Amino acid sequence: MKAISLERKEKKKKVTYDRWGLYFIIPFFVVYFLFTLIPQLLTIFYSFFEYYRKTVGVYIGPNFIGFQNYVNLFKPIDSSGTIDILKYFGNTTIMWIVGALPQFLIALILAVMFTSTRLNVKGQGFFKTVFYLPNVIMASAFSLLIFQVFGRVGPINQIIVMNGGNTVDFLRQKTSVRALIAMTNFVMWFGNTTIVLMAGIQGIDESLFESARIDGASSFKVFKDITMPLLKPIFIYCFITSMIGGLQMFDVPQILTAGQGTPDFTSKTIVMFINEVLRAKDYGKSGAISMILFIITGILSLIVYKITNKD
Amino acid sequence: MKKGLLSAVALLATVVGAATMTSCAPKNVINIRAWNDEFKRFFEKYVSDEKIDSMTTNEAGDTVENPNAPKTYHVDGVPVKWSIVPSQDAQYQDKLDIALEKQEKASEGEKVDMFLAEADYILKYADSATTQNIREIGVTDMSKTYNYTVQAASDRNGVVKGVSFQCCPSALIYNKVIAEDVFGTSDPAVIQEKLSDWDKFNEAAAAVKAKGYFMTASVEDSYRVFSNNATTPWVDANGNVSIPEAINGWKAQSKLFIEKEYTVNDGVWGDEKNKNIVKDKETGYKGKAFCCFGPAWYYNFCMGGATKGDWRICKGPQAHFWGGTWLMAATGSNNTDAVAKIMNAFINDETVCENLIKNDGQFTNNQTVNARVAAEYTASNKGNEFLGGQNDTAIFLDLAKNIKFENATNYDQICNEKFQQFYREYLGGSVTESKAIENFYKDVKTKYSHLIVPVAEEAK
Repeated sequence: MKAISLERKEKKKKVTYDRWGLYFIIPFFVVYFLFTLIPQLLTIFYSFFEYYRKTVGVYIGPNFIGFQNYVNLFKPIDSSGTIDILKYFGNTTIMWIVGALPQFLIALILAVMFTSTRLNVKGQGFFKTVFYLPNVIMASAFSLLIFQVFGRVGPINQIIVMNGGNTVDFLRQKTSVRALIAMTNFVMWFGNTTIVLMAGIQGIDESLFESARIDGASSFKVFKDITMPLLKPIFIYCFITSMIGGLQMFDVPQILTAGQGTPDFTSKTIVMFINEVLRAKDYGKSGAISMILFIITGILSLIVYKITNKD
Repeated sequence: MKKGLLSAVALLATVVGAATMTSCAPKNVINIRAWNDEFKRFFEKYVSDEKIDSMTTNEAGDTVENPNAPKTYHVDGVPVKWSIVPSQDAQYQDKLDIALEKQEKASEGEKVDMFLAEADYILKYADSATTQNIREIGVTDMSKTYNYTVQAASDRNGVVKGVSFQCCPSALIYNKVIAEDVFGTSDPAVIQEKLSDWDKFNEAAAAVKAKGYFMTASVEDSYRVFSNNATTPWVDANGNVSIPEAINGWKAQSKLFIEKEYTVNDGVWGDEKNKNIVKDKETGYKGKAFCCFGPAWYYNFCMGGATKGDWRICKGPQAHFWGGTWLMAATGSNNTDAVAKIMNAFINDETVCENLIKNDGQFTNNQTVNARVAAEYTASNKGNEFLGGQNDTAIFLDLAKNIKFENATNYDQICNEKFQQFYREYLGGSVTESKAIENFYKDVKTKYSHLIVPVAEEAK
């Protein structure tokens, strides 16, 4: 008995810690499996079924219908022949690009300015906080604010009317609605991009900048030939995350247009469409839309990755 | 090490203990679902028992109820728990549907006992297994209620599933100050004469506009007058969606009113509409709206910002009704006695009904009490404070005779809300009229994929 316990003690001393790494990542995989992977697989599964709620407590299906949900999505349901899912995808892309372009431009300029040892900008902590602040506020709260400010009886219209103008329907015109959505997203996200890009630039060896300056390179040349090439991996990371976030745009347009994507569905995004169909408890159709979004996002990410990794 | 282990065990014990303590007390509660607190206020005021759970010691050293503690409300000793979700965009229905579908599996304290339903979607619940026969739970006497309220709450076989606590004939509510300015009088009889049909109404609109006022508070304000007089349903028995003929009246009027600026292109619950009925501190009613349409609940509950005493009512160009709140008995409730008691109180308890009229300006679902109060008001020349003492009960008594609840479908809320929304896009100039109507059909199809809409069929 004693011998055995001694032997065990011997063994215990030899215990290696190799497996601990695996133990520590188990919780993540369990949570991922239960709350992400299974729902994802179910989404794919149900996208091949007719499965929806007809009225309270009465469900139709699930009946296997193959690719019918996908086919229906690409069938026009109005006389103009518009294919809704493509229209909503177009809306999403336009609003993302209009918001993302200035976002990257301004973020890049700010990041370069703040990291430049030559400019040596004072009060960086303060500015960083201010830029990042909109991102701390919930998107819904921020959009609600914009919704009130640009409403028909909001302060902007009050100022216009006070100065003798007519009330402007900011939230009911295609251009202004899309512009407001893009602007809100831009204001919310440029601070975040700035900080990530700053971290990227600070990771570049300072001696490179120094030697370039000693060689007499202009600021633009330094930016073009040193900063940008070395910042590329971080920049691509920012671009792809922004693109995925952009394609999944939901909260801002949902609140600014009260969930309607007004006018004429021109500010309705893909995720708003999924949300609407899911609220109607049409599991088959919403699964199919989600799958299409997944495939499109995958393809676009791959294209971006391939292009930027060419050289 | 040992100490650490001990404290960890102690912590675990506390957590487990707390968890079991909360989970082992599934106290019975009466769960009521609603979309605003209108009914809740009446219920707490007149029907439930008020209780203060917290005790305190007064100056004399006696233990008494703490006057500052929050009150709880009970029926037969069972506390009431509310769940209130706004109705716009069918959110209320969505959440309610989820709760009702889970009803069987829900624990005792979570089962829905009673829920409120509106005229626009009552059929969906009345004609489903989610509600139960109220005659079987003890609501047997419906002789004093208005017939249409019983019919609305019945399923296709005539089984009654709920009762309405109000009757909702709707009238034209107009601003006294503007009436005096435009027509030289605010006498309801004269004003009624000037607005007795739609042609006269449109003519009057021109006169109102000439004086710098809006005729209606928003373009949606007159919608219900047309829509609730529809002779065909939004969705027929085969699931075909079509716009009722009666809506054409509103389409024509809204076009005219927007073009001539007789009103604003806003929703009936919009901010701009609200602004149009509220008196300005400096400029009074300059540039404000002359009238809107609504039943008793409308001006007593939804015209909060409007000045009391500045409004009057008359029958208006066309008889109609709007809304109404039904109390539905949910299947699977374990408090059916309390539910029956609440329902009976609102339709058969004459004191409750009388209080509802006299203190809250309601028009109740008890014909006897309505008639008695109307006569009493006429005799004593009294009435509703909001209407400057006008006897609205007498007017509604007359209008209530004509209410017919016909052509209701499960989809009326979305159809009515969305039709107005998309048509207003056309009125605002962002789409053509045919496009607006197509968009309406498309939206309905997205929300109810089993329905058949005309445009989609043609495109196929």
